[in-house]
Amino acid sequence: MLEVVDLTVAYGPVVALHGVSLTVQDASITAVLGANGAGKTTLVRTISGLVRPRAGSVRLDGRELIRLPPEEIARLGIAHVPQGQGVLAELTVDENLRLGGLWRRDRKAQRGALDETYELFPPLAGRRHLTAFSLSGGERQMLSVGRALVARPRLLLLDEPSLGLARRALVQIMGRIKALVTERGLTVLLIEQNAKSALSVADDAIVLHLGNVVAHGPAQKLADEEGLRHAYLGF
Amino acid sequence: MSRFFVLSLNGLTQGAIYAAMALALVMIWRATQVINFAQGAMAMFTTYLALFAIDHGVPYWLAFLVALSSGLILGAIVERVIVRPVESAPPLNVVILTLGLLLFLEALAPMLFGGQIRSFPPAFSIVGLHFGNSQVAFSPFDAFTLGSVLAVMVLLLVLFQKTDLGLRMRAAAFNPDVSRLLGIRVGRMLTLGWSLASLVGALAGVLIAPSLLLYPTFMDQVLVFGFTGAVLGGLDSAVGAVVGGLLMGFALSYVGGYLGSDLETVGALVILIAVLMVRPRGLFSRHRLRQA
Amino acid sequence: MVAVHSRLDRLASRTLGGHLLLALGAAVLLLLLSTQIGAYDNYNLTAVAIFAVAAAGLNLLTGLNGQLSLGHGALMAIGAYTASLLLKDHELPVVLVLLLSVLSTGLIGIVFGYAAARLRGPYLAGATLTLAVALPQVATRYKSIFGGESGLTVPPTTPPAWLGPDFPPERWLAWIAVAAAVVTFVLLANLLRSSAGRAFRAVRDNEAAAALAGIDVARTQVLAFVISAACAGLAGALFAYWSGVTAPAGFGVTLSLQLVTAIVIGGLGSLAGAVWGSLVLVFVPSLTSGMASTLNVPSAIANNLPLAIYGGILVIAMLVAPHGIQGTLTRILTIGRARWGHTPAGGQKGVVDWDDPASDP
Ligand SMILES: Nc1ncnc2c1ncn2[C@@H]1O[C@H](COP(=O)(O)OP(=O)(O)OP(=O)(O)O)[C@@H](O)[C@H]1O
Ligand SMILES: [Mg+2]
Repeated sequence: MLEVVDLTVAYGPVVALHGVSLTVQDASITAVLGANGAGKTTLVRTISGLVRPRAGSVRLDGRELIRLPPEEIARLGIAHVPQGQGVLAELTVDENLRLGGLWRRDRKAQRGALDETYELFPPLAGRRHLTAFSLSGGERQMLSVGRALVARPRLLLLDEPSLGLARRALVQIMGRIKALVTERGLTVLLIEQNAKSALSVADDAIVLHLGNVVAHGPAQKLADEEGLRHAYLGF
Repeated sequence: MSRFFVLSLNGLTQGAIYAAMALALVMIWRATQVINFAQGAMAMFTTYLALFAIDHGVPYWLAFLVALSSGLILGAIVERVIVRPVESAPPLNVVILTLGLLLFLEALAPMLFGGQIRSFPPAFSIVGLHFGNSQVAFSPFDAFTLGSVLAVMVLLLVLFQKTDLGLRMRAAAFNPDVSRLLGIRVGRMLTLGWSLASLVGALAGVLIAPSLLLYPTFMDQVLVFGFTGAVLGGLDSAVGAVVGGLLMGFALSYVGGYLGSDLETVGALVILIAVLMVRPRGLFSRHRLRQA
Repeated sequence: MVAVHSRLDRLASRTLGGHLLLALGAAVLLLLLSTQIGAYDNYNLTAVAIFAVAAAGLNLLTGLNGQLSLGHGALMAIGAYTASLLLKDHELPVVLVLLLSVLSTGLIGIVFGYAAARLRGPYLAGATLTLAVALPQVATRYKSIFGGESGLTVPPTTPPAWLGPDFPPERWLAWIAVAAAVVTFVLLANLLRSSAGRAFRAVRDNEAAAALAGIDVARTQVLAFVISAACAGLAGALFAYWSGVTAPAGFGVTLSLQLVTAIVIGGLGSLAGAVWGSLVLVFVPSLTSGMASTLNVPSAIANNLPLAIYGGILVIAMLVAPHGIQGTLTRILTIGRARWGHTPAGGQKGVVDWDDPASDP
């Protein structure tokens, strides 16, 4: 279980999160919604340790993450697919994928995870030995998500995975992730611009507005709230 | 034997050493985007340590290891103590920092090891080899120089391209933030990068010391030529560093041989400017077409 | 970089008259000072003025225009050799010698400037460093013109008769150097507030944006290089008078690196920083050698202690005061003023700077 309590984050004078709290249950998908600049990316960057908060706490199964550096947080089984360019363009597709699970050291499982990823994303399989630099935007996004899955994480932070992806690829990815949630108990925090489709896959959701949580609850319930949809979700 | 051939052989051995120096600079540049102007002084220091060991009865090969391993350690210390705290400082500050370290080491060495110019023993004979009844300007020590530089380069290539550790090191250098998200302990990787680079520098030091004599500033020229070689090759290419270093070796040898040794550096300047005017980012730079 | 900006903006907001007044005041003060101190201190004062001129020129190039030169010592050598060659067979007035040296170095600066404008960051650093190593060798090679290793001797300037027969020549040279420095600083200060100065900064901050704003980036960079070279030429000519001999050994890589050190320690991008830097260059070594000689240690240690301390100071300074002396002073002043409830001119913005990590190259 991931618990975020009273998280306040500022970049210099700009406060991006004002005392945000949320709880993500194990083996569930929680959507984080909100307009541009709402603080969604800041939230996941803080969880994965890239940003130091001014106050508050982030706990994974009761363990405080706030003082840990990002690499140690990753080693607890938290995989973060960053918004936009998360691939290492200078390395090959294969190397990028291998990097996802290097900290695990169970070579065999790694090999299997790699093969699974190539099965899931056939375009990557054909470009195994090319540098990620040569990939298209959508292919890069596949690589980024695939690399996170290779790590077999407990908690997956997805920051706008739909960016640049064709609908079919996206449906495929989300289908795979749903399966991992039910089969392996994966926990997911999903950031999406498209509130409608995010709410359709998520179990729970929160809505951020200018760094504050303005709504939270079961995804279905939020999707049904007329006022909320109009004010923040735009559908 | 023709003069050209002699000069070429000489250029090859010198070039191997400049290539090692250039490679050391490029490794550090790629890991931390720092030009380590103290690289030569660090190599000078480790060479002095080896000589100190020899003075105290340590056999040559053990002293050789002393130089290399002290290079490893010195590189790690410098990265941890001096470079890490200014990780996010403007690049010029880091330049000044390495210059400060250079001056400091060049003053520290004579305090610890005495100020007089010393000679440094070679591992093998420096007399030219005999083939039949003709002697070539290529000594066993030259062969050793070439061989050891080559060996180190092959080892580094295997490390970086074939091992998980090398993959981690490359990732950490290319994109520290993303690497951290993948659980790579970036700090350790950068320290290791500095260590390995200093080892390569230390190797250059013990290899060139026999022909240059040992004094606190003896590596300054090697640093400049190595740097020129690295820039010539394109600072972010290891292959470029090796090629650039070798080119420098040949060019300096020809200029020195045909035009006079006091024009060597002018020759280096002319070549460098000529290459950079055509390729402002060196011979082996890859121009990015897409945003990385 | 934001702090550098506001400092310059404030400097630039002073009027030409203000600059002149300030300069005149400084000149009078320094001239008075020179009459109160002995020959050795006048000698040091001259050195400070010389380094200040060279460092100010380098600061314009590196701090304001963003081009790192590790070869400014070589440009000083061009100025010094020009002066020495002029004085070899003729007796010429100092002003003429200085002007011609500025001219020759500036002209050569055009050539280097065009080459430099194509290069960036470490590539420019590499090219200029090689220049610093190579140029003195030309002097060694062409002995008949440049005098080889032993160089050319430079006759001292004699004080004019109206100063009286006992006027010390060191003081006269100090006057010349101080006057040259003051003139240079006034000219540079005015340049900085002109459109050329703004173009320098715009190119440094973002070449693409500057080009979009209609600035000819390459021309701006060449101009900065030429002005910077001219300053180095002036400093070099003064240096020739000061040292009495112009030889390759005097213009090694060390000199170039010292100049870079001066502007970073003094404060990048500010004229005052150049002065602080040259004070450090002149007085820290003499302080450290003073310290070393009072200690009772073996000569191998005493001889090298000054350099070790100097190197140590560089390292420590960069660790504790990364913005140089001028930057640190500005910060202290701003924090002080903020405490006392004053807002510095130009508003609070960027004075205690939040350097946006994203904007660092
Ligand atoms: N590195 C930074 N420095 C300063 N301010 C920042 C930084 N990163 C984000 N911000 C600010 O913090 C606020 C929240 O940004 P954040 O990136 O978290 O938004 P977001 O919800 O992810 O937006 P988007 O949907 O556009 O990705 C914004 O006002 C942004 O300008
Ligand atoms: Mg975002």
